[in-house]
Amino acid sequence: MPDPSFLFAQALSGLTAAMFLFLIASGLTLIFGVLRVLNFAHGSFYMLGAYMAFQVVRWLGREPSSFWWAALGAAVGVAVLGGVVERLLLRHLYDKEELYQLLFTYALVLILSDAAKVLWGTGQLSVSRPPGLAGAFRFFGTTIPYYNLFILLLGPAIALLFWLALTRTRRGRFIRAAALDREMLGALGVNVSGLYTGVFVLGSFLAGLGGALVTPVKAIVPGMDVEIIVEAFIVVVIGGLGSFWGTFLGALIYGQVLSFGILIFPRFSIFSVFALMAVVLILRPWGLLGRPLKT
Amino acid sequence: MHRRLLLILLPLLLLALALPPGAEAQKPIKVGFPMILSGPGALFGTPALKGAEMFVEEINARGGVLGRKLELLARDTKGKPDEAVRVSRELILKDGVDFLVGTLTSAEGPAVSVVAKENKIVFIAPIPKTDQLTAKENLHPYVFRVAANTTMEGRSAAEIIAKWPVKRIATISPDYAYGQDVTRAFVEHLKKIAPQMEIVDQQWPKLGEADYTPFINAQLAKKPDAAFSSLWGGHFVNFAKQAKPLGYFDALKYNFFDAGEGGCQETTSAMGADYPFGIWGNTYDAFYWPDAPPAHKAFIARLSKFLKSEYPSSWSIQGYIGMQFLAEAIKKAGSTKSDAVAKALLGLSVDTPAGKLTIREKDHQANRGQLYGKTTRDPKYPFAILRPVTYVDPTKFMD
Repeated sequence: MPDPSFLFAQALSGLTAAMFLFLIASGLTLIFGVLRVLNFAHGSFYMLGAYMAFQVVRWLGREPSSFWWAALGAAVGVAVLGGVVERLLLRHLYDKEELYQLLFTYALVLILSDAAKVLWGTGQLSVSRPPGLAGAFRFFGTTIPYYNLFILLLGPAIALLFWLALTRTRRGRFIRAAALDREMLGALGVNVSGLYTGVFVLGSFLAGLGGALVTPVKAIVPGMDVEIIVEAFIVVVIGGLGSFWGTFLGALIYGQVLSFGILIFPRFSIFSVFALMAVVLILRPWGLLGRPLKT
Repeated sequence: MHRRLLLILLPLLLLALALPPGAEAQKPIKVGFPMILSGPGALFGTPALKGAEMFVEEINARGGVLGRKLELLARDTKGKPDEAVRVSRELILKDGVDFLVGTLTSAEGPAVSVVAKENKIVFIAPIPKTDQLTAKENLHPYVFRVAANTTMEGRSAAEIIAKWPVKRIATISPDYAYGQDVTRAFVEHLKKIAPQMEIVDQQWPKLGEADYTPFINAQLAKKPDAAFSSLWGGHFVNFAKQAKPLGYFDALKYNFFDAGEGGCQETTSAMGADYPFGIWGNTYDAFYWPDAPPAHKAFIARLSKFLKSEYPSSWSIQGYIGMQFLAEAIKKAGSTKSDAVAKALLGLSVDTPAGKLTIREKDHQANRGQLYGKTTRDPKYPFAILRPVTYVDPTKFMD
């Protein structure tokens, strides 16, 4: 039996990874739930968030607050970009076949990854931890970096905020209604097209924020867009496409399986995640907390 | 119709006859350069290409080889072996290159070696390290390597760690050819020369792992007092960024050795002040190398100008040396036929910026060593440098 403090450390590292994934995957699932568009470019928005954060930090220099401005700026920047993409391009494809939407978002992936290469080069870039959260503390025989603690608290906070917004506000009710029946909602006089833009902007904001917040932990490199979109897809497939709490659950499971997977199959940790996804797909093709799609 | 065709063809034919016979020989010698030019590996691949470009510019300014200019055709392998194979085939079949120099990872190198064998075209690998590239079962007349290999690198690291006052050794390496081979060479050699040391843990994150935290925790739980790693480039940066706040390097008292060029300035400058200063690393080149051979200083001055950089890259030298060996072999062979050039490469010695190197006949491997040292903070530079810098001659570890 391994040392309990080690098990605790493993669980905690899984949780941290899960919160990052949740930030990204929640935007993906939100957009799919309402717009019924599987946005491949979500990972690209995440990547742009990381690059933009790097850019803002470079502009502001080593000020103690520059990282936080960078995170906010990157998230807003990506949200604006998301809004432009939805207003000018994506909305013309809503009544087309799903294949066209997939092709469109895939084209966006290619365009944005090349744009990032042109703007920031192919080298790896790095952002330091914000000064206030640079250290770490000991707890239960484990070293916990303050930054990880911050992410651990931020994840549930955002989840809760979301849940409140979706269930307690008028706009939230519209969003949930749009997910169920957009024609009916439009017939009732709600501005569905504005709602769609809002949801896409919000989803992009989350992707940009996730990308910015991940920079103190990971190097910023071309290719991080594709890497994250695969992980985010696994999370939403496990949890259920379009299901908000499903995504939260999916991220939690993903993190823990990866963390403890390396203890059971040290060299096949990624295998355990795919195996889990396969099992979920066989037993509940619509995901753990998803609803079966009406045909 | 036929007459008209003849009327067009006849002048052309006459023209061909009238041209001096040397016209064919004036065509440039084409060299295909498959290299990682995008993604995390581009950090090393792009400067390696620049080194090759500089060599081509220099030799063409002196009149080229056998009176013909060299022409470099670079292609992006994206770090994927299948893509490396595809662009190499395309270079040979469509662009008609005479030779291949290039590839970076230990997955790409052996894959392109197969293409070189099929097409009977000389292939010089300047960076891939896996022993498998030139192992007996894979060796063929057309493949050569001017990089260090995993045996040389793993054993050099073992020689250094064997002198540390430590007992419990751990390893953490990416789970693919290079990571496995260099770690095996390290462990085997360490067991031989330092039997008092014990391997207490081995972690194998996949290549491109995003979250190293679980591996780091698992390793710390085994309480090692030193660690060996072969994580490289962006992978090492990710690892170090996550390991540092977890207290990993402190727990090891900085008895940590990264054989994946953890000491090269591309890696150290990517992390700047966040670098775990005090760990050990290696690099192919260092512009600040004080005891370098005489040719090195001039090389660095030219490279600095060519790259327009105050701190010229540590990877350019590999592209440069690869092209240098090719050009010398063509000269020696007096021909651009791959069969003749391949024969000329056997036992060929070349005065490179890193000193005199020789490709052994036995395994087509050059005795290319690396610089090793402890990473140190120097106010003169915005990144960690190695101090002291020691060139470890691998000649005695090659068998």
